[in-house]
Amino acid sequence: MSDSSTTNASTFGRLVINKIPEVTSNPLGDNRIELVVPANKIRDVVTLIDEEIQDVLPESMFGVDLENDQYELIYIFWSYTSRLLLQLRVSLEGEKPEIESTCDIFPGLEWHEREVREMFGIEVKNHPDPRLLLLPDELDGAYPMRKRFQTDRSRLNETGITPPKPRPEPGGDSQ
Amino acid sequence: MSPDILEDAMELWFGPQHVSAHGWATKLTLVGDYVVECDPNAGYFHRSAEKVLEYKNFRQGALILERMCMLEAFLAEYPYVAAVEKIAEIEVPERAKVMRTIMMEMSRLHSIQFWWGQFNAELGFFTMALWPWVDREYSLDAFEELTGSRHTVSYSTPGGVKYDFTEKSMKQLNRALDRFEDRLPKFRDMQMGSPTFRARTENIGLYDVKQGLKWGLSGPPMKACGIPMDLRKDDPDPNLAYDMVDWEVPITENPEHPGQSDALDRMEQRFAEAETACEIIKQLIPQIPEGPIIDPKARGKANRLPEGEAYARVEGTRGITTLWLKTQDKAQTAYRAKIRGPCIASYYALKDLVPGSKFADFIVIFGSLDPYPGWWDR
Repeated sequence: MSDSSTTNASTFGRLVINKIPEVTSNPLGDNRIELVVPANKIRDVVTLIDEEIQDVLPESMFGVDLENDQYELIYIFWSYTSRLLLQLRVSLEGEKPEIESTCDIFPGLEWHEREVREMFGIEVKNHPDPRLLLLPDELDGAYPMRKRFQTDRSRLNETGITPPKPRPEPGGDSQ
Repeated sequence: MSPDILEDAMELWFGPQHVSAHGWATKLTLVGDYVVECDPNAGYFHRSAEKVLEYKNFRQGALILERMCMLEAFLAEYPYVAAVEKIAEIEVPERAKVMRTIMMEMSRLHSIQFWWGQFNAELGFFTMALWPWVDREYSLDAFEELTGSRHTVSYSTPGGVKYDFTEKSMKQLNRALDRFEDRLPKFRDMQMGSPTFRARTENIGLYDVKQGLKWGLSGPPMKACGIPMDLRKDDPDPNLAYDMVDWEVPITENPEHPGQSDALDRMEQRFAEAETACEIIKQLIPQIPEGPIIDPKARGKANRLPEGEAYARVEGTRGITTLWLKTQDKAQTAYRAKIRGPCIASYYALKDLVPGSKFADFIVIFGSLDPYPGWWDR
């Protein structure tokens, strides 16, 4: 694509690597590219995406628990004018890993970051609104999307959620 | 804002019980009749579908997904099936591709018919609430005849589709389409010709392309700004048959505010979307090729998947709908599945879009973005 208003995946990959040499890239085919970004460079890369690619939209952002305190964060951006799909992959480790917030650059990522925080326990620094998004208050700090969180009845005591009431006997009066 | 004004402010929880709140609770700060602050609160519909998918096998998974959005059940289940097919490298027969595309557009049509009714009921325009719902019954009859289920169709499965078209189901499908196409001009006159409806929607909830993209909006709310942004053209799924059809991306351009859309444009856009959906189905029905509807080896292949990652995307009724799937070697269940529903952005957008407007317009802005809580809360 020679048109100046559109961006080619490999051209953009080279541009990012030239400016931030710590980044590596994997082509995914069909004008799709994956950039492996160190955690401390995420703001620089997201700023570059905002400046360089026309009509870019924050499509998704989510965590993956790789077990043994290893986590991955995936950011997905889409530009319909360039038909370009960008996937950023950030590796994190530790009991409570941290990442810089990027929702001042793309406001659409604000809720995704809140979800990552409550579900995976990945602390998002400088987040404007670090409340729980989907979970009830009882599950604050339980991080249910982590692999070590078991979804069986034994969790009921730990989380403090009241178990459902037993069903009324068939034929009896149900109040 | 000066603190004096906020002294008289009132906090009002809109929802989650209120019907027009779509199962969400939005905290509004009102000064007189005007909204000064809007704080959307998601989570009342959360059913932890992503965690459940880690415990279900690859044929059960699609059944969970279609419960994310009952109105476009086929569209909701499809990204999961497509992601499984990508990782397992399953080939889909040509006949199944066309049938999937027909079903996908029927699903879109049904969802739009329902939205019309709901949005108009919220505005108190009950004639236009009930007219599309009559046509919706015909669409549901077509689903029922083909799949046995009116809402949760569970029609696609890795490798193809579950049920073949019969003479009777084809007749029901054509009946639903013919009736709807016949009545569409009447709907348009009734809806767009209503001075009350126009007065309530014109210049309400105005935003431009740049704002919309920053929030992550896609689909009809963006196409109403006049940009042809549609995954069916931009990034078509290889196992769907949109390349067999001659069609244009429907857009709405309003000369009064180019590059922007208000609630009226978004209504106009839904008419265009419904027309396009009808046209695609009408073109595809005579082109259905002969052959099997499912790859016989697919069932075995979908039992255990190799290690891999796949990202499947479709253009939903409300915007970009995707599923990101990661599996481990010889996996029977997903290692991680991430659902991206289109309403994530449209509910978040209220935060910036609503302040400054009247309280009565809040429902117009909210409804015109076609919110569905299952898509965000999952």
